[in-house]
Amino acid sequence: MTATANGIATQSAEATSVGDVVLDVDDLSVVFPTEEGLVKAVSNLSYQARLGRTLAIVGESGSGKSVSSMAVLGLHNPKRTQITGSIKLDGIELVGAPQSTFQKIRSTKAAMVFQDPQSALHPFHKVGKQIAEAYLAHNKVSRSVAEKRAIEMLDLVGIPNPKRRALQYPHEFSGGMRQRAMIALGLVNDPKLLIADEPTTALDVTVQAQILDLVNDLQKEFGSAVILITHDLAVVAETADDIVVMYAGRGVEKGDAKEVLAQPSMPYTYGLLQSLPSHSEDLAELKAIQGSPPSLLNLPPGCSFHPRCEFKDQVPGDACWTQLPEWRPTPGLANRQLRCHLPDPVRTLQEDEGVR
Amino acid sequence: MSDQMTAPTRAAADTAAKPLLEVTDLQRYFPFREVQGLRMVKATVKAVDGISFTLRQGQTLGLVGESGCGKSTTARLITRLDEPTAGSVVFEGRDITHLKEHELRSIRRDVQMIFQDPYCSLNPRHTIGSILTTPLKVHGLHKGNEKRRVQELLELVGLNPEHINRYPSEFSGGQRQRIGIARALAVEPKLIIADEPVSALDVSIQAQVMNLLAKLRDELDLAFVFVAHDLGVVRHFCDQVAVMYLGKIVEYGDKKKIYEAPEHPYTQALLSAAPDINVARGIAPKERIRLVGDVPSPIDPPSGCRFRTRCWKAQDICAQVEPPLMTSVEDTTSVRAKRDRGLHLQACHFAEVKTTLVAEVPAEPAG
Repeated sequence: MTATANGIATQSAEATSVGDVVLDVDDLSVVFPTEEGLVKAVSNLSYQARLGRTLAIVGESGSGKSVSSMAVLGLHNPKRTQITGSIKLDGIELVGAPQSTFQKIRSTKAAMVFQDPQSALHPFHKVGKQIAEAYLAHNKVSRSVAEKRAIEMLDLVGIPNPKRRALQYPHEFSGGMRQRAMIALGLVNDPKLLIADEPTTALDVTVQAQILDLVNDLQKEFGSAVILITHDLAVVAETADDIVVMYAGRGVEKGDAKEVLAQPSMPYTYGLLQSLPSHSEDLAELKAIQGSPPSLLNLPPGCSFHPRCEFKDQVPGDACWTQLPEWRPTPGLANRQLRCHLPDPVRTLQEDEGVR
Repeated sequence: MSDQMTAPTRAAADTAAKPLLEVTDLQRYFPFREVQGLRMVKATVKAVDGISFTLRQGQTLGLVGESGCGKSTTARLITRLDEPTAGSVVFEGRDITHLKEHELRSIRRDVQMIFQDPYCSLNPRHTIGSILTTPLKVHGLHKGNEKRRVQELLELVGLNPEHINRYPSEFSGGQRQRIGIARALAVEPKLIIADEPVSALDVSIQAQVMNLLAKLRDELDLAFVFVAHDLGVVRHFCDQVAVMYLGKIVEYGDKKKIYEAPEHPYTQALLSAAPDINVARGIAPKERIRLVGDVPSPIDPPSGCRFRTRCWKAQDICAQVEPPLMTSVEDTTSVRAKRDRGLHLQACHFAEVKTTLVAEVPAEPAG
């Protein structure tokens, strides 16, 4: 399916080879007006997803990681959401686009795998039928062809005996199988971008490992871009290529996933990593970040993290309280950007690690 | 307040004392009717199927396993929120397995529970003060002084004592979990059953609550049964670990041994499946085990060894003979005696030690 009809502008060339940008999110803000005021769920977020690479969006609950990705697929109620900035999916501008545009790009260009497959699959329809329907919506084929395609997809995601399974209902599937079916449903129209929102959080460890392996294998096979939304840093370490760390609706650090986790340069990323009870080390006490995330109704002035930051007194003046830090390259680290006022974050954090 | 210091001294003091909690061959079957074709068929879910363990004062036992392995049911049986089908639970020498509701009151004071979801486990229409005063009133503690005791408790768990008149909705998830902990501590229990106490919390908050629990355990000399699926959290918090699979304990022993040299294939697979943050630092485990398929249904568990359907070592004997919980070391004493002496137990016909599953982290320079 090409989406050039109906006056949808194709401003840049479509992404075709590995490394091409499929999704370009620039200065995205998502605001929900409520009775109590404006909830700034996402503020000035920018990132890019590239073909053949996995981008991890990491943050705690309420950091805006899911909200930003739902904006990509137009899943917010336009009447109750203010979205500004730019989201370009394969050259198509999606901010302010009509529902018809979203209907065209959903499943063909971008698809989403949700956290809870139990509620994301329709309980009244057979699994095979649900997948076939997604295929029929975008392809002019007969139902039997679509059903064959559904069985193929179930086979592809490693569901044993796909012919029989296609005729079963979601409740007859186990948690891991359901998530596989979700992935099959997401990939049936061969999208260039797969957004996986906490795909393994509801699953057990041994099944989580299977699903993560599957996503990795499928990505290699299809060469699509994957956005992995998660709070689990260990999952990121094992699967992602790039990373954006979010805090209170803003990106605070981005770069190569493994490098960021091995040597964080933003105090929040550092604090998160320090507070993990890594099961390879024995420590007497965990190093927790004090306090809790701010309310999105009332973000603190300056850097959102400053009330919890233990390094703020190392910044000259009162920049942390008054100025929002802009994106800048981390001094001393290639290929890394952060939002922090610390003059030499790498050294500051290294010294802190040495002290402990 | 280092764990390495306190653990051995705690253990040494314990061997003389009699156990706080003794669980023997505990079973819980849930009968239900199922429609098969046109007929109703009786079936049972074997949620917990013969588990035994002993806990002494100040000890912490971790129960780990995947969903449906019976770890939460075990927690509910020990607290007697549910009645076992068979087996016994002995608390401080008193058999509490089949006590009646009114007889349980004294046990309720000594055994308290911390729940997983701090949003469901606090009544939204009660103030914090009322939530924390209720257990004091029920047990007639601190009569006339309840308010002061509640403020003390709030301070103990790191909350502002002035917040006594607030409602749960005014607190964040981490703070609510602290309230849940304060409620459990209100009646000065000896044993706390914590059912996934931190899994609903964000990483940074999780660490705060873990530290609080560890501090309280050391200060108040509490024994814990700690139910969790997060292997990292259990490793951090527990002295002993019991790994469960489909209602049975498959491996039991000292934390260090379980994590560094597991013997049972399921423990090995579980450890191997957990993603490891150290991969980012270029330290990968030497070996990876990936299980195929899902956990079988506890309605009709496999014969013999329950893990055999997913096990790569399975042979004919595994389907015929159920492997008992035993040591790999030559020893003729009873299972209970072995457990009491802190021996490592596993239930597998082909157990062997594997030390290659967890990445070796080079020792950090002392500083």
